[in-house]
Amino acid sequence: MFRRSGSFVSFFVSGQMPTPHSEEFLQALSEHRFRDISMASSEEVSTGWVTPKDPTGETFDADALELGDTIWMRFRTDRKKLPTVWVNIHRATAEQSAGRKLSAKERKDLKEDLMQQLLPRILPSVALIDALYQPRQKKVVLFGTAVAVRDAFRKLMFDSFGVELTQADGYERAARSGLDGDLLKRLGEVSPVRWAPDSESGRDLPDPVRDSFEEPTPEPIAEPHDVAEDQDLEHKGSEEPESEVSA
Amino acid sequence: MTDEASHGFLGEEFLTWLWFRAETSGGELPLGDGKTVGFTIDDLIEFAPLDEDETQSAVKRGSPTKSAVARAALKSGRRLRKARLILAVEDRVYSATVDGPTLSFSSVKLPDDDPDLELAERSEERAQAFLELESIVDVLYRQFLELRLDRSFQGGEGERQANWMAGSARS
Repeated sequence: MFRRSGSFVSFFVSGQMPTPHSEEFLQALSEHRFRDISMASSEEVSTGWVTPKDPTGETFDADALELGDTIWMRFRTDRKKLPTVWVNIHRATAEQSAGRKLSAKERKDLKEDLMQQLLPRILPSVALIDALYQPRQKKVVLFGTAVAVRDAFRKLMFDSFGVELTQADGYERAARSGLDGDLLKRLGEVSPVRWAPDSESGRDLPDPVRDSFEEPTPEPIAEPHDVAEDQDLEHKGSEEPESEVSA
Repeated sequence: MTDEASHGFLGEEFLTWLWFRAETSGGELPLGDGKTVGFTIDDLIEFAPLDEDETQSAVKRGSPTKSAVARAALKSGRRLRKARLILAVEDRVYSATVDGPTLSFSSVKLPDDDPDLELAERSEERAQAFLELESIVDVLYRQFLELRLDRSFQGGEGERQANWMAGSARS
Protein backbone atom coordinates (compact mmCIF):
# COMPACT_ATOMS: atom_id res chain seq x y z
CA MET A 1 0.00 0.00 0.00
CA PHE A 2 1.22 3.50 -0.73
CA ARG A 3 2.62 5.44 2.21
CA ARG A 4 0.57 7.91 4.22
CA SER A 5 3.39 10.15 5.43
CA GLY A 6 6.88 11.12 4.41
CA SER A 7 8.98 13.74 2.68
CA PHE A 8 9.15 14.55 -0.97
CA VAL A 9 10.72 16.74 -3.58
CA SER A 10 9.47 17.25 -7.13
CA PHE A 11 11.20 17.40 -10.49
CA PHE A 12 10.22 18.56 -13.94
CA VAL A 13 11.10 16.06 -16.65
CA SER A 14 12.98 17.35 -19.70
CA GLY A 15 12.99 14.97 -22.62
CA GLN A 16 10.67 12.32 -23.94
CA MET A 17 9.68 9.50 -21.62
CA PRO A 18 8.18 6.41 -23.24
CA THR A 19 4.46 5.96 -22.72
CA PRO A 20 3.85 4.31 -19.36
CA HIS A 21 2.84 0.64 -19.67
CA SER A 22 4.43 0.49 -23.12
CA GLU A 23 6.89 -2.28 -23.88
CA GLU A 24 9.62 0.35 -24.20
CA PHE A 25 8.88 1.76 -20.74
CA LEU A 26 8.89 -1.64 -19.05
CA GLN A 27 12.01 -2.67 -20.93
CA ALA A 28 13.85 0.45 -19.75
CA LEU A 29 12.96 -0.43 -16.17
CA SER A 30 13.99 -4.01 -16.67
CA GLU A 31 17.34 -3.10 -18.23
CA HIS A 32 18.15 -0.99 -15.18
CA ARG A 33 16.58 -3.29 -12.65
CA PHE A 34 17.97 -3.78 -9.19
CA ARG A 35 20.76 -6.39 -8.97
CA ASP A 36 21.29 -8.34 -5.79
CA ILE A 37 24.61 -7.90 -3.94
CA SER A 38 23.83 -9.97 -0.87
CA MET A 39 26.54 -12.52 -1.72
CA ALA A 40 29.16 -9.97 -2.79
CA SER A 41 32.52 -10.09 -1.04
CA SER A 42 33.39 -6.44 -1.60
CA GLU A 43 31.88 -3.22 -0.33
CA GLU A 44 29.27 -2.26 -2.90
CA VAL A 45 26.25 -0.16 -3.64
CA SER A 46 23.57 -1.42 -6.01
CA THR A 47 20.76 0.82 -7.27
CA GLY A 48 18.02 -0.18 -9.70
CA TRP A 49 14.31 -0.37 -10.41
CA VAL A 50 11.93 -2.73 -8.67
CA THR A 51 8.14 -2.58 -8.49
CA PRO A 52 5.89 -2.05 -5.48
CA LYS A 53 4.77 -5.68 -5.81
CA ASP A 54 8.18 -7.24 -6.40
CA PRO A 55 11.09 -5.77 -4.41
CA THR A 56 13.59 -8.18 -6.03
CA GLY A 57 13.65 -6.50 -9.44
CA GLU A 58 12.92 -9.80 -11.18
CA THR A 59 9.53 -8.87 -12.68
CA PHE A 60 8.02 -5.72 -14.11
CA ASP A 61 4.27 -5.99 -14.29
CA ALA A 62 2.57 -2.92 -15.80
CA ASP A 63 -0.40 -3.28 -13.46
CA ALA A 64 1.88 -2.97 -10.44
CA LEU A 65 2.85 0.54 -11.53
CA GLU A 66 -0.60 1.97 -12.07
CA LEU A 67 -2.21 4.37 -9.62
CA GLY A 68 -4.94 5.99 -11.68
CA ASP A 69 -3.32 8.53 -14.01
CA THR A 70 -0.11 8.32 -12.02
CA ILE A 71 2.73 5.83 -12.32
CA TRP A 72 4.10 4.44 -9.10
CA MET A 73 7.81 3.87 -9.63
CA ARG A 74 10.13 2.39 -7.03
CA PHE A 75 13.86 1.96 -6.88
CA ARG A 76 15.98 0.05 -4.45
CA THR A 77 19.45 0.84 -3.16
CA ASP A 78 21.40 -1.81 -1.27
CA ARG A 79 24.61 -0.87 0.43
CA LYS A 80 27.10 -3.38 1.74
CA LYS A 81 29.74 -2.12 4.12
CA LEU A 82 32.15 -3.83 6.50
CA PRO A 83 31.26 -2.62 10.01
CA THR A 84 34.11 -0.54 11.44
CA VAL A 85 33.65 -2.13 14.84
CA TRP A 86 34.59 -5.55 13.41
CA VAL A 87 37.74 -4.15 11.84
CA ASN A 88 38.73 -2.57 15.17
CA ILE A 89 38.13 -5.81 17.10
CA HIS A 90 40.24 -7.89 14.70
CA ARG A 91 42.96 -5.25 14.60
CA ALA A 92 43.16 -5.10 18.41
CA THR A 93 43.40 -8.92 18.55
CA ALA A 94 46.16 -8.98 15.91
CA GLU A 95 48.11 -6.25 17.68
CA GLN A 96 47.82 -8.09 21.00
CA SER A 97 49.18 -11.29 19.41
CA ALA A 98 52.01 -9.43 17.69
CA GLY A 99 52.81 -7.38 20.79
CA ARG A 100 53.08 -4.23 18.68
CA LYS A 101 51.03 -1.88 16.53
CA LEU A 102 50.34 -3.04 12.99
CA SER A 103 51.95 -1.20 10.13
CA ALA A 104 49.82 0.54 7.53
CA LYS A 105 50.33 -2.35 5.08
CA GLU A 106 49.43 -4.93 7.72
CA ARG A 107 46.26 -2.99 8.58
CA LYS A 108 45.33 -2.85 4.89
CA ASP A 109 45.93 -6.60 4.47
CA LEU A 110 43.91 -7.33 7.60
CA LYS A 111 40.96 -5.31 6.30
CA GLU A 112 41.07 -7.08 2.94
CA ASP A 113 41.11 -10.49 4.65
CA LEU A 114 38.16 -9.50 6.79
CA MET A 115 36.22 -8.33 3.75
CA GLN A 116 36.76 -11.69 2.08
CA GLN A 117 35.68 -13.56 5.21
CA LEU A 118 32.86 -11.39 6.52
CA LEU A 119 31.21 -9.52 3.66
CA PRO A 120 29.51 -12.58 2.11
CA ARG A 121 27.91 -13.12 5.55
CA ILE A 122 26.81 -9.51 6.02
CA LEU A 123 23.43 -8.48 4.73
CA PRO A 124 23.31 -5.15 2.92
CA SER A 125 21.23 -2.25 4.17
CA VAL A 126 18.15 -1.84 1.97
CA ALA A 127 16.35 1.37 0.99
CA LEU A 128 13.19 1.35 -1.11
CA ILE A 129 12.38 4.76 -2.56
CA ASP A 130 9.05 5.60 -4.19
CA ALA A 131 8.34 8.10 -6.93
CA LEU A 132 5.10 9.21 -8.55
CA TYR A 133 5.40 10.03 -12.23
CA GLN A 134 2.72 12.26 -13.74
CA PRO A 135 3.02 11.81 -17.50
CA ARG A 136 0.65 14.63 -18.49
CA GLN A 137 2.38 17.19 -16.27
CA LYS A 138 5.83 15.80 -17.08
CA LYS A 139 6.56 15.86 -13.36
CA VAL A 140 7.84 13.32 -10.92
CA VAL A 141 7.52 13.39 -7.15
CA LEU A 142 10.36 11.65 -5.32
CA PHE A 143 9.81 10.41 -1.78
CA GLY A 144 13.31 11.08 -0.55
CA THR A 145 14.93 14.46 -0.08
CA ALA A 146 18.55 13.55 0.76
CA VAL A 147 21.09 14.71 -1.79
CA ALA A 148 22.38 11.16 -2.33
CA VAL A 149 18.84 9.90 -3.02
CA ARG A 150 18.08 12.75 -5.44
CA ASP A 151 21.36 12.19 -7.27
CA ALA A 152 20.81 8.43 -7.52
CA PHE A 153 17.29 8.99 -8.87
CA ARG A 154 18.43 11.57 -11.41
CA LYS A 155 21.10 9.19 -12.66
CA LEU A 156 18.74 6.25 -12.81
CA MET A 157 16.13 8.24 -14.76
CA PHE A 158 18.78 9.47 -17.18
CA ASP A 159 20.33 6.05 -17.65
CA SER A 160 16.93 4.38 -18.09
CA PHE A 161 14.99 6.91 -20.15
CA GLY A 162 17.53 9.52 -21.29
CA VAL A 163 15.61 12.31 -19.52
CA GLU A 164 16.98 15.12 -17.38
CA LEU A 165 15.30 16.14 -14.14
CA THR A 166 15.11 19.73 -12.93
CA GLN A 167 14.21 20.21 -9.31
CA ALA A 168 10.91 22.07 -8.84
CA ASP A 169 12.21 24.79 -6.54
CA GLY A 170 10.73 28.26 -6.14
CA TYR A 171 12.19 29.59 -9.37
CA GLU A 172 11.31 26.61 -11.58
CA ARG A 173 7.77 26.40 -10.20
CA ALA A 174 7.32 30.12 -10.83
CA ALA A 175 8.76 29.94 -14.33
CA ARG A 176 6.40 27.10 -15.25
CA SER A 177 3.30 28.33 -13.44
CA GLY A 178 1.81 30.12 -16.45
CA LEU A 179 2.52 33.66 -15.28
CA ASP A 180 1.77 36.25 -17.93
CA GLY A 181 4.58 37.82 -19.94
CA ASP A 182 5.21 40.90 -17.76
CA LEU A 183 5.25 38.95 -14.52
CA LEU A 184 7.46 36.31 -16.05
CA LYS A 185 9.90 38.98 -17.20
CA ARG A 186 10.01 40.44 -13.70
CA LEU A 187 10.68 37.01 -12.24
CA GLY A 188 14.11 37.12 -13.84
CA GLU A 189 14.78 40.58 -12.41
CA VAL A 190 13.26 40.42 -8.97
CA SER A 191 15.45 40.79 -5.90
CA PRO A 192 14.66 40.16 -2.23
CA VAL A 193 12.52 42.64 -0.34
CA ARG A 194 14.52 44.08 2.52
CA TRP A 195 12.11 44.35 5.40
CA ALA A 196 14.61 46.38 7.38
CA PRO A 197 13.97 49.10 9.96
CA ASP A 198 14.55 52.59 8.69
CA SER A 199 17.81 53.48 10.43
CA GLU A 200 18.00 57.02 9.07
CA SER A 201 14.67 58.26 10.34
CA GLY A 202 14.73 56.02 13.38
CA ARG A 203 11.15 54.96 12.65
CA ASP A 204 10.29 51.66 14.22
CA LEU A 205 8.90 50.22 11.01
CA PRO A 206 10.28 47.82 8.46
CA ASP A 207 9.88 49.24 5.03
CA PRO A 208 9.97 47.18 1.89
CA VAL A 209 12.80 48.56 -0.12
CA ARG A 210 12.15 49.38 -3.73
CA ASP A 211 13.63 46.67 -5.83
CA SER A 212 14.08 45.87 -9.44
CA PHE A 213 10.47 46.23 -10.46
CA GLU A 214 10.15 49.83 -9.32
CA GLU A 215 8.40 51.88 -11.99
CA PRO A 216 11.10 53.01 -14.37
CA THR A 217 11.74 56.73 -14.63
CA PRO A 218 10.15 57.95 -17.85
CA GLU A 219 12.66 58.74 -20.51
CA PRO A 220 13.00 62.46 -21.29
CA ILE A 221 11.64 63.64 -24.59
CA ALA A 222 14.43 62.89 -26.97
CA GLU A 223 17.02 65.38 -27.81
CA PRO A 224 19.71 64.25 -30.19
CA HIS A 225 22.21 62.04 -28.36
CA ASP A 226 24.47 59.22 -29.23
CA VAL A 227 24.25 55.53 -28.42
CA ALA A 228 27.29 55.56 -26.15
CA GLU A 229 25.50 58.00 -23.84
CA ASP A 230 22.48 55.67 -23.65
CA GLN A 231 24.65 52.72 -22.74
CA ASP A 232 26.42 54.72 -20.07
CA LEU A 233 23.09 55.74 -18.51
CA GLU A 234 21.83 52.16 -18.51
CA HIS A 235 25.02 51.01 -16.87
CA LYS A 236 24.80 53.62 -14.12
CA GLY A 237 21.14 52.81 -13.59
CA SER A 238 21.86 49.17 -12.89
CA GLU A 239 24.39 50.05 -10.20
CA GLU A 240 22.19 52.50 -8.35
CA PRO A 241 21.66 51.40 -4.77
CA GLU A 242 18.17 50.39 -3.75
CA SER A 243 16.22 53.17 -2.13
CA GLU A 244 13.56 52.80 0.50
CA VAL A 245 9.90 53.61 0.18
CA SER A 246 7.77 54.94 2.98
CA ALA A 247 5.20 52.64 4.40
CA MET B 1 25.00 31.75 -9.58
CA THR B 2 22.15 29.63 -10.94
CA ASP B 3 18.60 30.90 -11.13
CA GLU B 4 17.58 28.39 -8.47
CA ALA B 5 20.28 29.50 -6.08
CA SER B 6 19.63 33.17 -6.71
CA HIS B 7 15.83 32.87 -6.30
CA GLY B 8 15.67 30.82 -3.10
CA PHE B 9 14.45 33.96 -1.35
CA LEU B 10 11.14 33.78 -3.25
CA GLY B 11 10.13 30.62 -1.40
CA GLU B 12 11.13 32.24 1.89
CA GLU B 13 9.10 35.34 1.09
CA PHE B 14 6.19 33.05 0.14
CA LEU B 15 6.19 31.34 3.56
CA THR B 16 6.41 34.69 5.33
CA TRP B 17 3.52 35.98 3.22
CA LEU B 18 1.44 32.92 4.15
CA TRP B 19 2.02 33.73 7.79
CA PHE B 20 1.00 37.36 7.15
CA ARG B 21 -2.14 36.25 5.32
CA ALA B 22 -2.99 33.64 7.94
CA GLU B 23 -3.02 36.36 10.60
CA THR B 24 -4.54 39.23 8.70
CA SER B 25 -6.93 37.70 6.16
CA GLY B 26 -8.48 34.88 8.08
CA GLY B 27 -6.13 32.26 6.63
CA GLU B 28 -8.33 31.39 3.66
CA LEU B 29 -7.68 31.73 -0.04
CA PRO B 30 -9.57 30.50 -3.10
CA LEU B 31 -8.10 27.62 -5.06
CA GLY B 32 -9.70 28.68 -8.32
CA ASP B 33 -11.87 25.60 -8.74
CA GLY B 34 -14.67 26.81 -6.47
CA LYS B 35 -12.90 25.42 -3.44
CA THR B 36 -11.19 27.32 -0.66
CA VAL B 37 -8.10 26.35 1.29
CA GLY B 38 -7.76 27.22 4.94
CA PHE B 39 -4.19 27.45 6.17
CA THR B 40 -2.20 28.25 9.25
CA ILE B 41 1.37 27.96 10.50
CA ASP B 42 1.70 25.07 12.92
CA ASP B 43 4.36 24.15 15.46
CA LEU B 44 7.62 24.85 13.63
CA ILE B 45 9.08 27.96 12.10
CA GLU B 46 12.66 28.57 11.13
CA PHE B 47 14.05 31.96 10.19
CA ALA B 48 16.59 32.55 7.47
CA PRO B 49 19.59 34.60 8.49
CA LEU B 50 19.53 38.18 7.20
CA ASP B 51 23.13 37.83 6.12
CA GLU B 52 25.97 35.33 6.28
CA ASP B 53 27.05 36.42 9.76
CA GLU B 54 23.68 35.76 11.34
CA THR B 55 22.51 32.44 12.65
CA GLN B 56 19.51 30.51 11.41
CA SER B 57 17.01 30.12 14.24
CA ALA B 58 14.10 27.79 14.75
CA VAL B 59 11.14 28.06 17.10
CA LYS B 60 9.30 24.84 17.80
CA ARG B 61 6.25 23.48 19.60
CA GLY B 62 3.35 25.24 21.22
CA SER B 63 2.47 28.35 19.25
CA PRO B 64 5.79 29.45 17.81
CA THR B 65 4.27 32.25 15.72
CA LYS B 66 3.05 33.91 18.92
CA SER B 67 6.42 33.75 20.69
CA ALA B 68 8.40 36.88 21.48
CA VAL B 69 11.39 35.46 19.60
CA ALA B 70 9.33 35.04 16.43
CA ARG B 71 7.80 38.49 16.70
CA ALA B 72 11.20 40.09 17.22
CA ALA B 73 12.59 38.23 14.21
CA LEU B 74 9.73 39.50 12.05
CA LYS B 75 10.23 43.01 13.28
CA SER B 76 13.88 42.88 12.33
CA GLY B 77 12.89 41.86 8.83
CA ARG B 78 13.72 38.16 8.82
CA ARG B 79 12.06 35.76 6.40
CA LEU B 80 10.87 32.25 7.09
CA ARG B 81 13.26 29.61 5.84
CA LYS B 82 10.98 26.76 6.82
CA ALA B 83 7.48 26.43 8.24
CA ARG B 84 5.12 23.67 9.21
CA LEU B 85 1.81 24.33 7.53
CA ILE B 86 -1.65 22.98 8.14
CA LEU B 87 -3.84 23.12 5.06
CA ALA B 88 -7.52 22.20 4.91
CA VAL B 89 -9.64 21.73 1.80
CA GLU B 90 -13.21 20.61 2.39
CA ASP B 91 -12.89 17.82 4.96
CA ARG B 92 -9.29 16.96 4.10
CA VAL B 93 -6.54 18.23 6.39
CA TYR B 94 -2.86 18.10 5.45
CA SER B 95 0.20 19.04 7.42
CA ALA B 96 3.70 19.41 6.05
CA THR B 97 6.93 21.23 6.70
CA VAL B 98 7.83 23.28 3.65
CA ASP B 99 11.38 24.38 2.94
CA GLY B 100 11.35 27.85 1.39
CA PRO B 101 14.41 27.84 -0.88
CA THR B 102 13.72 24.41 -2.39
CA LEU B 103 9.94 24.19 -1.88
CA SER B 104 10.39 20.59 -0.82
CA PHE B 105 8.04 18.95 1.67
CA SER B 106 8.97 16.98 4.75
CA SER B 107 7.08 15.21 7.56
CA VAL B 108 3.94 15.22 5.44
CA LYS B 109 0.79 13.87 7.01
CA LEU B 110 -2.15 13.09 4.80
CA PRO B 111 -5.85 13.13 5.67
CA ASP B 112 -7.26 9.99 7.25
CA ASP B 113 -7.98 7.09 4.91
CA ASP B 114 -11.48 6.30 3.84
CA PRO B 115 -12.07 3.02 5.70
CA ASP B 116 -14.51 1.80 3.05
CA LEU B 117 -11.84 1.65 0.35
CA GLU B 118 -10.07 -1.52 -0.76
CA LEU B 119 -6.28 -1.63 -0.39
CA ALA B 120 -5.58 -0.79 -4.03
CA GLU B 121 -8.04 2.11 -3.95
CA ARG B 122 -6.51 3.34 -0.71
CA SER B 123 -3.06 3.41 -2.31
CA GLU B 124 -4.42 5.43 -5.20
CA GLU B 125 -6.19 7.81 -2.82
CA ARG B 126 -3.00 8.39 -0.84
CA ALA B 127 -0.93 9.03 -3.97
CA GLN B 128 -3.55 11.51 -5.16
CA ALA B 129 -3.51 13.17 -1.74
CA PHE B 130 0.23 13.81 -1.98
CA LEU B 131 -0.28 15.33 -5.40
CA GLU B 132 -3.22 17.42 -4.17
CA LEU B 133 -1.09 18.78 -1.33
CA GLU B 134 1.57 19.87 -3.80
CA SER B 135 -0.99 21.38 -6.13
CA ILE B 136 -2.57 23.39 -3.27
CA VAL B 137 0.81 24.86 -2.38
CA ASP B 138 1.44 25.58 -6.08
CA VAL B 139 -1.83 27.52 -6.31
CA LEU B 140 -0.99 29.54 -3.19
CA TYR B 141 2.51 30.17 -4.51
CA ARG B 142 1.10 31.39 -7.81
CA GLN B 143 -1.21 33.81 -5.96
CA PHE B 144 1.77 35.09 -4.00
CA LEU B 145 3.80 35.56 -7.19
CA GLU B 146 1.01 37.51 -8.88
CA LEU B 147 1.12 40.00 -6.02
CA ARG B 148 4.87 39.94 -5.48
CA LEU B 149 5.84 40.46 -9.11
CA ASP B 150 3.23 43.12 -9.76
CA ARG B 151 4.44 46.71 -10.00
CA SER B 152 1.96 47.77 -7.32
CA PHE B 153 3.42 45.39 -4.72
CA GLN B 154 5.49 47.99 -2.86
CA GLY B 155 2.60 50.34 -2.28
CA GLY B 156 0.00 47.62 -1.72
CA GLU B 157 0.53 44.12 -0.40
CA GLY B 158 4.17 44.87 0.44
CA GLU B 159 3.26 47.88 2.51
CA ARG B 160 0.52 46.01 4.35
CA GLN B 161 2.94 43.21 5.12
CA ALA B 162 5.57 45.72 6.27
CA ASN B 163 3.06 47.25 8.68
CA TRP B 164 2.12 43.82 9.98
CA MET B 165 5.76 42.92 10.53
CA ALA B 166 6.42 46.25 12.24
CA GLY B 167 3.50 45.73 14.57
CA SER B 168 4.69 42.27 15.49
CA ALA B 169 6.43 43.31 18.70
CA ARG B 170 3.21 44.72 20.03
CA SER B 171 1.21 41.55 19.38
